[in-house]
Amino acid sequence: MRVWRLLSLLWVLALVSTAEARQLAVITDTGNSTTNVTSAELTKILTGRTRSWLDGKPIRIVLRDPSSADMQVVARKLFNMEGDQARAFVRAHSDFIVVADSDDTVLRFVSSTRGAIGIVDLYSLTKGVNVVKIDGKLPVEQGYFLKGN
Amino acid sequence: MTLGTLRRVIIFAICLVATANAVTKDNPQKGVLPLTTKSKEVRHMLDEVWRLNLDEVQTAAADEVLRKALKIDPDFAFGHVLLSQCSLDPAEQVREQQKAFAMRAHASPGERLVIEWFQNAADHKLIPAITDMNEVLRRYPHDRWVVFLANWWLTQQTEYERAVAVFERSGITDSPGLMNNTAYTYAYMRQFDRAFALMEKYVAAMPNNPNPQDSYAEILRMAGHFDQAIRHYQAALAIDPQFYSSQFGIADTYSLMGDQARAREEYQIGFEKFPSLPQLHRVQWQTRQATTFVREGNYPAADQAFQAIADQAHAKVMSQVEADTYRQMAIYQPEAKHAIHFLDKAEAAARHGRNAMPFAIQQETAQILRARVEVALKVGNKKMVSAALNRLTQLSQTSNDKIIESAYHGAAGAVSFADGKYNEAMSHLEEDVNNPLSLQRLAAAYQKVGYGTEAKRVSETLANLNDPTLEQAVVVQAFRKCYEDPACGGSFKNAALEK
Repeated sequence: MRVWRLLSLLWVLALVSTAEARQLAVITDTGNSTTNVTSAELTKILTGRTRSWLDGKPIRIVLRDPSSADMQVVARKLFNMEGDQARAFVRAHSDFIVVADSDDTVLRFVSSTRGAIGIVDLYSLTKGVNVVKIDGKLPVEQGYFLKGN
Repeated sequence: MTLGTLRRVIIFAICLVATANAVTKDNPQKGVLPLTTKSKEVRHMLDEVWRLNLDEVQTAAADEVLRKALKIDPDFAFGHVLLSQCSLDPAEQVREQQKAFAMRAHASPGERLVIEWFQNAADHKLIPAITDMNEVLRRYPHDRWVVFLANWWLTQQTEYERAVAVFERSGITDSPGLMNNTAYTYAYMRQFDRAFALMEKYVAAMPNNPNPQDSYAEILRMAGHFDQAIRHYQAALAIDPQFYSSQFGIADTYSLMGDQARAREEYQIGFEKFPSLPQLHRVQWQTRQATTFVREGNYPAADQAFQAIADQAHAKVMSQVEADTYRQMAIYQPEAKHAIHFLDKAEAAARHGRNAMPFAIQQETAQILRARVEVALKVGNKKMVSAALNRLTQLSQTSNDKIIESAYHGAAGAVSFADGKYNEAMSHLEEDVNNPLSLQRLAAAYQKVGYGTEAKRVSETLANLNDPTLEQAVVVQAFRKCYEDPACGGSFKNAALEK
């Protein structure tokens, strides 16, 4: 027996493990007043077509390797590329995209860099960063853009 | 102690005094949550709570000690949040969370974060709950209470890999209770080899305690090793004949093995031998006993048994339990009109919402609406499908709750599947992979669009699901029969039972 909160719903959940969709959060530094971006704007930012925020601050992007399993949804939905293509793109644009080895590194970079924007798993979120809505929605809201296997 | 160490201890102690005046005993150990209580006795009692609740999983006894501790120090806010999380009484869960939140001003900054984390979770504010949890983990990664609560909450969120990582990063290797919890998390990930390895350590750490044997048995049962499971349950009872969980574990195992008469006998022995079970434990095993009739297809007997549970829940004003019991009755009804009748009763009980957290009632309502969609699909009532799905969509849009969202996706996936929109169905059903009904449809949808490997993987997961729940009884039994029978029209012949 394990310690378990016995709400009745919990014993009808079968707790099986198979591929469950992950949700990714877009984060900025707390000095950034942007609260919402459209998915189209986000694509422009990640592909370097938009290089600065509305207040003129340069945009610094930090991402995990877009070919990694957790970031496939970013490659597909934001870069409109396969994972390997997105990785090659990111490597070729190291002047404005930094590749981090973990969500912790992304969070540290964003929290300490003015104008930074990053993408992390929802459950990695920490204080010290802002979570930006995409198309008016936060992660966990129905229809959120950056969700998928 | 070196001079450097001494200096660090002094600085740390000064910081604690400066930030939390109410902390009466500073804990200089780095990474350990400072507990705010005026009483040394309460601190000792918390050690006792840990031993009883985590190591030995005597939850009712642990709750008793916590209640006594809170009588000694009623302002101990962290104690209230612990009791709210560990209580076996839904009304007490609600009350204690409210007390914890009201008293958070008396707590240390770390304790306040824990209280706010669970308050945010209770209020469906998932993002603040996550950031609170991660902040607590950042500050106190080696604190046993923090590691326990994070491991446990993440497991409830089905974030299994993260739950395991919290344990592994803690560096705590000698806590039997954390070994136990993490072994279960591995089992939910179906990484049984790792789960069994931790169970061996847990049994070795506490050879004279029944819970390690009981846990080992349950994980063996989850893996489908029923005979071994029964032997371990018996070993637990040999150590402590009063360890009721193992008696009911034997009953659950016989039920999963298909011997429903023997299962009912074993449940009955349990109820007679242990007349003073905690309320929610009693309901849990009464529900499983009632489910044995469903497994046999004896629906009148199932109705009688489930109705008795609902009546009892009603009499004790346990709204969510009553609602969930009616919802379960609806699921197995062969006739739609009966199912609708029980769903109406379930919704009425949920509306009362007594002695349950508001979020739990919302989750229950979502499950009821999901069941309504299933019934409506079965009878081809499009109006009812649309009405229930619309309500569920609204509920899902206004609550940041994983269980509610899963219910929505399960229902929406069922509708898409019925309409032959298999790609759309897949994207919904992949969001509800903890439900056997959705898994069954997901396997079929993968098969329909030609994703053979995925279909096989999901079919195997479903075929090897050994959980004594009603959903498992309704779905998995029939599913196994189908794919084991070459004459069956199912598409899952490649799935294999784990032996």
